[in-house]
Amino acid sequence: MAQAAPVIQPDLELSYEVPEQVTLLTDAWRRLRRNRLALLGGAIIAVLFMVALISIVWTPYPVWLQAVGPTYQPPSLHHLLGLDQAGRDILSRIMGGALITVEVGIGSAVILSLIGIPLGLLAGFYRGRVDTVISFFINIWYGIPDLLVALILVFVLSDALHLIPRGVFVIIVAFSLTRWMDVARLVRGQSLALREREFVEAARMAGGRDLALIFRHIFPNALGPIIVQATFAIPAAVLFEAFLSFLGLGLPPPTPSWGAMASDGYHGMDFAPHIVLAPTIALSITLMAFNWLGDGLRDAFDPRMRR
Amino acid sequence: MRGTLLYIGQRLILIAITTVLVSSIVFLLLHQIPGNAFLNETRTTPQALAADLRHYGLDLPLQQQYVNWVTAVVHGNLGESLVNRGVQITPLLVRETSVSATVGFFALFVTIGLGMLLGVFAALRQNTWVDYVASSAAVVGYSIPAFVIAIFMLLIFGHYFFVWTQGTVYYNVGWGDWTQVPVPAIALGLPYASYVARLTRASMLETIRTDYVRTAWAKGLKARIVVLRHALRNALIPVVTILGPLVTGIITGSVVIENIFGIPGLGKEFVTSILARDYNIVIGVFTFYAALVGLANLTVDVIYPALDPRIRY
Repeated sequence: MAQAAPVIQPDLELSYEVPEQVTLLTDAWRRLRRNRLALLGGAIIAVLFMVALISIVWTPYPVWLQAVGPTYQPPSLHHLLGLDQAGRDILSRIMGGALITVEVGIGSAVILSLIGIPLGLLAGFYRGRVDTVISFFINIWYGIPDLLVALILVFVLSDALHLIPRGVFVIIVAFSLTRWMDVARLVRGQSLALREREFVEAARMAGGRDLALIFRHIFPNALGPIIVQATFAIPAAVLFEAFLSFLGLGLPPPTPSWGAMASDGYHGMDFAPHIVLAPTIALSITLMAFNWLGDGLRDAFDPRMRR
Repeated sequence: MRGTLLYIGQRLILIAITTVLVSSIVFLLLHQIPGNAFLNETRTTPQALAADLRHYGLDLPLQQQYVNWVTAVVHGNLGESLVNRGVQITPLLVRETSVSATVGFFALFVTIGLGMLLGVFAALRQNTWVDYVASSAAVVGYSIPAFVIAIFMLLIFGHYFFVWTQGTVYYNVGWGDWTQVPVPAIALGLPYASYVARLTRASMLETIRTDYVRTAWAKGLKARIVVLRHALRNALIPVVTILGPLVTGIITGSVVIENIFGIPGLGKEFVTSILARDYNIVIGVFTFYAALVGLANLTVDVIYPALDPRIRY
């Protein structure tokens, strides 16, 4: 990507071979396009987003409406995915669940990046005492089962202290508070390396302030790995929500969370397996799509993969 | 040797400190909760309530409670259950840990054994159908959460093959038979096995192209020796690095797996106690988990130099 040195042709005519100028994102997109699995993942995610948006304004039946037909009814033409143990339309609830999945996934990725990126940048840029403190927290965190701390946080924040009502937001907060360390560690490493580079030194010599150096010069150059890390945070958050709701510690009952639906259906699994199959398959496909896209992005942003 | 022991000793002290620190956070978090664990009992009188609070030391100021708790934990005493009075938590959790550990070790065995087997075969037969089948299975498998696999296995073995299993996969009938271990352990280990398979395949592909492996072939060594002694040993190094997170994952996963199959282990206790607001047990389980994760990471760090002599403590 660097400027190519002028090449002197044998006939002594000076000609510059100007390499094509592409931005990081264009370059990554070109390589991502060649990865079929990542594209499939992206397509599935696009469908998920569309379903989630549609579910805000329209679902075949209201997601909470009980007894729209006989309970435990298997799939039929009227109810494509059947009815659950309370006679609710499962297709509608899957659509509503898509919205919750999107909210939890995107919300967590955004909030944990907002916590992790500044802390990682500060630790890597200032080093010394700032770094010691932040790294201390990061290292402690690697010795604990983080999801279980998040589980307790959800419980304490919503049920016990009544700070945040039990809902999507408290799950996002609890997850982000225990998972920002991944991003912080990555950004710290990036900014430790980038702060020694010539362009940062040049910017400092030109009189750039610390904040300008950090956000205008170091941050944009660490963007690729950050995007990859944030993409992998989405399936983790989605799985965390499903895990909590499945155990009955997540979203409260009428909410059409896929985890809670799986837990509902699990009790009647031997005679009505369709109730448990729909949400678990939806969840698995969603997680798969995000993981494929994440893998694709990682390869696309990795300079070593450049051909 | 003496260096190793010294290192292990230092790490053990560090693990103890981390464990107390982490469970202190949980202790303080749970003690922020207004009211107390006995308020929802309707039949209690103010006198009985005061006696209960006195019995558990909950009438003391928080600082005093915390000091008492830390002193007790350092002596290995996690206190008494709030719901079932008289039940000492430490022996209870030790018993449950042995149940969880049985399933967990089997799951780890499935993860590493199956994952490495698939990874090695996929790498040795790169771009053949073996590779394609193994790689696609891995790429699908690691996205399917353990609890979904558990539900499917329960559906298959507990329902469709009921005649064959006679309902023994569902543990509400009682725990204690070794035949009950494999099904939940496979459910727990399978997602991570896919991950290990991907990792093994990638590092194996890198290793079998190195000069020293080519030399080993050229010397005329048997395939088994080349693969096992020359290639696999080096290909294992990246796999060992993820063992720490793997154990954390298996512990987290066991919480939901034990609840699905009704296994009387730490994970089931954890969820039951949260729902019953038995905070003493919640803190106790957490202390156990923190210690287990620490010990697992230590084990990994001790194995590591044995595998790769370039690495020293």
